[in-house]
Amino acid sequence: MTLKSTLARVTAKSSYWLLHDVLHRGGTSLPGKLAVSIDPNILTTIQQNFDLIIVTGTNGKTLTTALITRVLQAGGYTVITNPSGSNMVQGITGTLVTAKVKPSPNGQKPIAVLEVDEANVEKITAAMKPKMFVLTNIFRDQLDRYGEIYTTYDKIIAGIKHAPEAVVLANGDSPIFTRGDFTNERKYFGFNHVQPADYKPAVAPINTDGILSPTDHSVLKYDFITYANLGKYFSTSDNFARPKLNYQVTSINDLTPKYSTFSIDNTPLRIEIGGLYNIYNALTAFAVGREFNVDSEKIKTAFESNAQIFGRQEALHVDGKDVTIVLIKNPVGTNSVIDMMVTEENDFSLLALLNANYADGIDTSWIWDAEFEKLHDTHIKAVATGGERYKDLRVRLKMAGFPDQAVYEDLTQIVTAIKALPTEKVYIAATYTAMLQLREQLGAAGYIKGGF
Amino acid sequence: MANFEISVAHLYGNLMNTYGDYGNIIALTYYAKQIDVAVNYHLVSLGDNFDGDNFDFALFGGGQDYEETIVAKDLKIKADQVRHYIENDGPLLAVCGGFQLLGHYMVMADGTKVDGIGVMDHYTTNMYDDKLTVLNGKRLTGNVVIKNNDTGETYHGFENHQGRTFLGENERALGTVISGNGNNGMDHTEGVIYRNVYGSYFHGPIFTRNGNLAKRVLATALSRKYPEVDWTEKLDQIETETF
Ligand SMILES: [Zn+2]
Repeated sequence: MTLKSTLARVTAKSSYWLLHDVLHRGGTSLPGKLAVSIDPNILTTIQQNFDLIIVTGTNGKTLTTALITRVLQAGGYTVITNPSGSNMVQGITGTLVTAKVKPSPNGQKPIAVLEVDEANVEKITAAMKPKMFVLTNIFRDQLDRYGEIYTTYDKIIAGIKHAPEAVVLANGDSPIFTRGDFTNERKYFGFNHVQPADYKPAVAPINTDGILSPTDHSVLKYDFITYANLGKYFSTSDNFARPKLNYQVTSINDLTPKYSTFSIDNTPLRIEIGGLYNIYNALTAFAVGREFNVDSEKIKTAFESNAQIFGRQEALHVDGKDVTIVLIKNPVGTNSVIDMMVTEENDFSLLALLNANYADGIDTSWIWDAEFEKLHDTHIKAVATGGERYKDLRVRLKMAGFPDQAVYEDLTQIVTAIKALPTEKVYIAATYTAMLQLREQLGAAGYIKGGF
Repeated sequence: MANFEISVAHLYGNLMNTYGDYGNIIALTYYAKQIDVAVNYHLVSLGDNFDGDNFDFALFGGGQDYEETIVAKDLKIKADQVRHYIENDGPLLAVCGGFQLLGHYMVMADGTKVDGIGVMDHYTTNMYDDKLTVLNGKRLTGNVVIKNNDTGETYHGFENHQGRTFLGENERALGTVISGNGNNGMDHTEGVIYRNVYGSYFHGPIFTRNGNLAKRVLATALSRKYPEVDWTEKLDQIETETF
């Protein structure tokens, strides 16, 4: 450690201490910025203290990172990880330079598990060499910012190429991850819960991206689809097909809005969150755990004893209403949420909130790619809409066959809105900044402990 | 059962449907249903035949660069059929990439020139082209408002494109740009009208936010098939969504 890097770390830590313990403000960007201004090579210097895993992709990064953290901790590793929302280079630098790194109880090096924004992977790997890249999925997301799915993947590939020794552990059900001219060792996880006798060869629905075979550019067929363009795919005109899976979901037992039970490599597992997409997150964490020699039983315990980490899908009570808050940000994520609502056995109401600020994506046209029509297959009893772009959402749901809606132009009426819904069970689906505003209102009204 | 029906062709709907383009069909169907018209949806994609005589409306949306290059090759095989449909006054909405590929050519951000089928007279350069005097090297992204000079109607939408389109001599704009950038950021045109073809860079999608245009196109499609009915009058009686 050089004098410069020591000074950089001390400065970052004291600014972090000032922000958190004195001013009670979150955020790790400022300490990161300070550290880099003193020692531009700080990341390279501190990397000798730990092994690094980079988790990237469009949907599910935060929960997957949290799950990997618990799994590795269960295996006796000391783990450093970044808070959700600090997934750009400065926040990550801040996290790493201010972390207290204790030795791992299992005698191995500590591990940094970092959720990294797709466009920031290369900035991280220019300075640090990870042991593993974990690729969750790439869906269309906020195109006004990053562009198309292949452009997004190209950014990740540019990052991977800085670290040819790292293992690339990717979602084998996503055809895009067979692409890329990097030389790294590749391993895949995916779903194999359908028996060959039950295969029903089909193509993806029209509103699905990334369905062309990279070899012959034909439309891929599937033995089965889990959701969106994920599944057991193959080309009909050449040998292109899903790669061999190293880790697989071998059965699915229960899918409910509150929990799922399934097996991975024949280990029965349970997670306290609904949605097939969350089984992918669990599968990813399972695969990473096994790669780092954590045994299956310990992974099982890690999932079962950490129910509170499934926090993005929040449950709370508002004057007798059982409210579940879900984040929606792109068509695939929204369709997954709707699929989860299909498994809801109780009558429920939906309050949908749309904003179009930078963090939401400023183009609202994605709501037309989400299949709100499928809500007719659920026990939905009422629909209400709101948010800064309530007009867009009101018309979307009207054209999906929900003409009678309560419309809230202003989120200060949110508690009124919830109380006015006719069912005890209420789902609130909100885009990112709408969710922040919602939480602020519910906090001020005393329904979320500690405010926001 | 509805008393009337129309058939809609979604050209390459599985590959060219990147910004909610399918919403245009949702909107069209929404209005059609209220006037007792059923909409039959047909995907026409790679390797499929496009017989325009079977269709009353066609949608050709936008895609990602890779999909667009694959579609451009297949579209050449359908070029005569598409030309026949257009010259026969078939109603068509072409958005973004679809709009570009009906013209002579388009140039992608990386400089790759992709042949269109030239059934319409416009062409598309990329955002780095020397002739661009404004916003060179920038995507045109943001809210856009235009005025249709034929009808006086105002349309709202969101644009997000790197390609810059220049209209040909026998084409007129869908509208004059009131705010935003439009086809190329330079000549205040947005989109195109040629016979019953409407082209645009509007996402939103355009029919969902501009019910007046959706109804106009629907009336055109229905009047070709059922000329004995006054469709405009029927459509005037139902509520129009504009926002
Ligand atoms: Zn576009």
